[in-house]
Amino acid sequence: MRNITKIFGHLKANDAVDFKLRENSIHGLLGENGAGKTTLMNVLYGLYRQEEGEIYIHGQKTDIVSPLKAISSGIGMVHQHFMLARPLTVVENIMLGRKSSRGIFLDTRKVAAEIRELSDRYHLMVDPYARIWQLSVGQQQRVEILTTIYQGANILILDEPTAVLTPQEAETLFSILRQMRDDGKSMILITHKLEEILSVVDDVTILRDGKMISSFKVTPATTKEELSRLMVGRDVLFDFNPAAVKPGKERLGMKDLRVKNDKGLPAVNNFSLSVSEGEIVGLAGVDGNGQKELAEALTGLRPAEGGKIFINGIEAENKPPAFFIHQGVAHIPEDRQNMGLAMGFCVSKNLIIKRFCQQPYAKNGLMNYKNIKNHAQKMIQDFQIKTNSTEDITRDLSGGNQQKVILARELADEPSVLIANQPTRGLDVGATEYVRSRLLEARSKGAAILLISADIEEIIQLSDRIAVIYNGELMGILPKGSQPETIGLLMMGKRQGENTGVKENQ
Amino acid sequence: MSKKINKIIQAIFPALLMVSGALLTGAILIIISGNDPIAAYAALLEGAFSNSYRISETFVKAIPLMLMALGVSIAFKNQIWNIGAGGQFTIGTILSVIVCLYFKLPPIPTIILSFIFAFIGGALWGGLAGWLKARFNANEVITTLMLDYIATYLLAYLVYGPMMDPNGFGYPQSAVIEKVLRLPKLIVGGRLHTGIFVAIAILFLMLLFWRSTLGFKIELAGQGNDVSRYAGIDNKKIIVITMLLSGGLSGIAGWNEIHGIHLRLMTDLAGSYGSIAIVIALLGNLNPLGIAISAYFFSVLIVGGNTMQNLTGIPYSLVDIIQGLIVVFVITRTAFRTESIQTFFRKRRYQHNG
Repeated sequence: MRNITKIFGHLKANDAVDFKLRENSIHGLLGENGAGKTTLMNVLYGLYRQEEGEIYIHGQKTDIVSPLKAISSGIGMVHQHFMLARPLTVVENIMLGRKSSRGIFLDTRKVAAEIRELSDRYHLMVDPYARIWQLSVGQQQRVEILTTIYQGANILILDEPTAVLTPQEAETLFSILRQMRDDGKSMILITHKLEEILSVVDDVTILRDGKMISSFKVTPATTKEELSRLMVGRDVLFDFNPAAVKPGKERLGMKDLRVKNDKGLPAVNNFSLSVSEGEIVGLAGVDGNGQKELAEALTGLRPAEGGKIFINGIEAENKPPAFFIHQGVAHIPEDRQNMGLAMGFCVSKNLIIKRFCQQPYAKNGLMNYKNIKNHAQKMIQDFQIKTNSTEDITRDLSGGNQQKVILARELADEPSVLIANQPTRGLDVGATEYVRSRLLEARSKGAAILLISADIEEIIQLSDRIAVIYNGELMGILPKGSQPETIGLLMMGKRQGENTGVKENQ
Repeated sequence: MSKKINKIIQAIFPALLMVSGALLTGAILIIISGNDPIAAYAALLEGAFSNSYRISETFVKAIPLMLMALGVSIAFKNQIWNIGAGGQFTIGTILSVIVCLYFKLPPIPTIILSFIFAFIGGALWGGLAGWLKARFNANEVITTLMLDYIATYLLAYLVYGPMMDPNGFGYPQSAVIEKVLRLPKLIVGGRLHTGIFVAIAILFLMLLFWRSTLGFKIELAGQGNDVSRYAGIDNKKIIVITMLLSGGLSGIAGWNEIHGIHLRLMTDLAGSYGSIAIVIALLGNLNPLGIAISAYFFSVLIVGGNTMQNLTGIPYSLVDIIQGLIVVFVITRTAFRTESIQTFFRKRRYQHNG
């Protein structure tokens, strides 16, 4: 792609970008949210027309006017949000919109055989007759990949493919990508995760503010610091090196806590943990091991089937959510869009949805919108929320700014306890750095913080103690400074103290 | 200040666009049917405004429509579709007449008690649907609609049976309430009555209501179960409260019609008010002032439509068509608002800014 420029209104989303993909390679496209990565790929896939510039495929100038043209040129795209019909089987999904070789009859059996063969070749482990809704997210993604290959793609665009995957699923995906590369295909990996660039990618192109900043081969000498400096345009702090604070008395306690999930099955089993004033306890674990249920039980959103919860020394299990709010339990939920924010409300209202009945926001049953607006103006400044006004609808904010709204609301009143569930997931480097520094600041002000995260690095960076959850059970508590491998072992279900080496485990 | 004016224009503009769209489409239909649209709309306006009786009629019709639409709008804010405003209205009329005919009290206490009973009756009728939703997760569209039928047939049973006027020559209607219990007329030769002041008072109360903490709670609950629970709100309780208030306002509309217009029970008093109220609430963008204006607009259509039919021979159905078109436009707009091209572009802009 040469000299690609794409303009939205007054904004140059891509400004004379050059992009070169070698055959048989995995190419990382790196940049912060809004850097123009997705725009560039949408141009390549024919979803947008560029204002300037040309696209060459295998040396031939190609005018990609539509996705259909892209597909026939051998370009396939795996979107972040899957485009699959959930009630149908895998083979039916792949056949959708394609001509059958048997005229008006479906050639299901033939296609299924072809799919099975492709699936075996790349170890995708996809059953053609499985229904989409029965598949895990990782499997659904592999169906999407399969669809593009089946359509004859030899250039694959993957838009943030690991955003929805667990670390294990991501690793599986990477080995599939490597295999496809060795088989002669080329892939473009849109991402803002530096680890991915370092671990799977052959070349990297970095975009910032719509401009191509740099493009080079990834070597073992390439460092995260180097990448992030190019991506953000300044040095990013990776090592917070938080000064040790002496923890005070217990603020949050769990004793033999048991919680069920939505299906009524046990999600948290006999879980005991304690978090003290001025302490961050990291709770590491692969997604779906009971973290969400635990966080909801600790904030009154989900009943405890057994055991006890102590908030500031008060027994609190099965109290309503309002009790926890009054006790100063702040909660950064995993699901920001449905739980953390009223997306249709303006920013100023979202900043007070937990305190709207209190002075100065309300008096004698009437809201005081003047005070609410003043509060919002202060919060927007304090937490660097990018918005045009306090009355902007929250839905229109970027993901990072939405998270800052939640952060501002939850931290504004200096909470005594903070439950932070995946607080930086999906955020770009700048926003992630900001959220983490705010968590440390809350700790130094005395909050007891339970940091739930699937990101081991985040856990190691911020935690004073590291607890690990697996299958709803506490696997062990590790001290500050533990090695990622040790934590990883517990995350995979090896109990602390069990004498199992890494090799045996594999 | 100019910002404020801008905001008002932004709020009103879509409604004006929808109304003119509906009127234009209506005009095309009139042309197709071989008539003159200008003459038709002129006749419609004449029918609504040509003399003081007709003008007063536009207000008479607007009162119950506005009250019911205000009620419906409370439910809408909490994402609840109260289809059965007509049923809640009917219960209000029944209880008002019962108080007036059978409670032997002095006039003033009777009128006040009638008002309270009508409100509570409508509230319970709506609240029942709310409770069913909160307790059993029963879909409110079904329950309010079914309760609507129950109210309609309860009314029919009463006027054909126990409450039938013994001196009424067998007509399906109750006895008339006493003269002292009627709301005084405001103009000679028209039906406009002092109930309009009650309606205006409630309009102002509603403006205040949306600035109250309870109003905020209802709006927040309408933003989704998860977020409102997260914010410490008891969703089930709020659903019931929402429907109690929503039904209560329709009950008051019933009280108003009994004391001001009908003076007795008859079959099918609610007519199609329940469904028109939904359109009015949506056209008014769930804003009390918008609802008041929309209610008056619909009232003009209804009052003028009859005259138009008489003068030009164009059937009254045209009014129904215009109503229907507005429903279509309103729904299109709602669909656009949630997953709109507008926000799509706005999002894009933000992403590139930030």
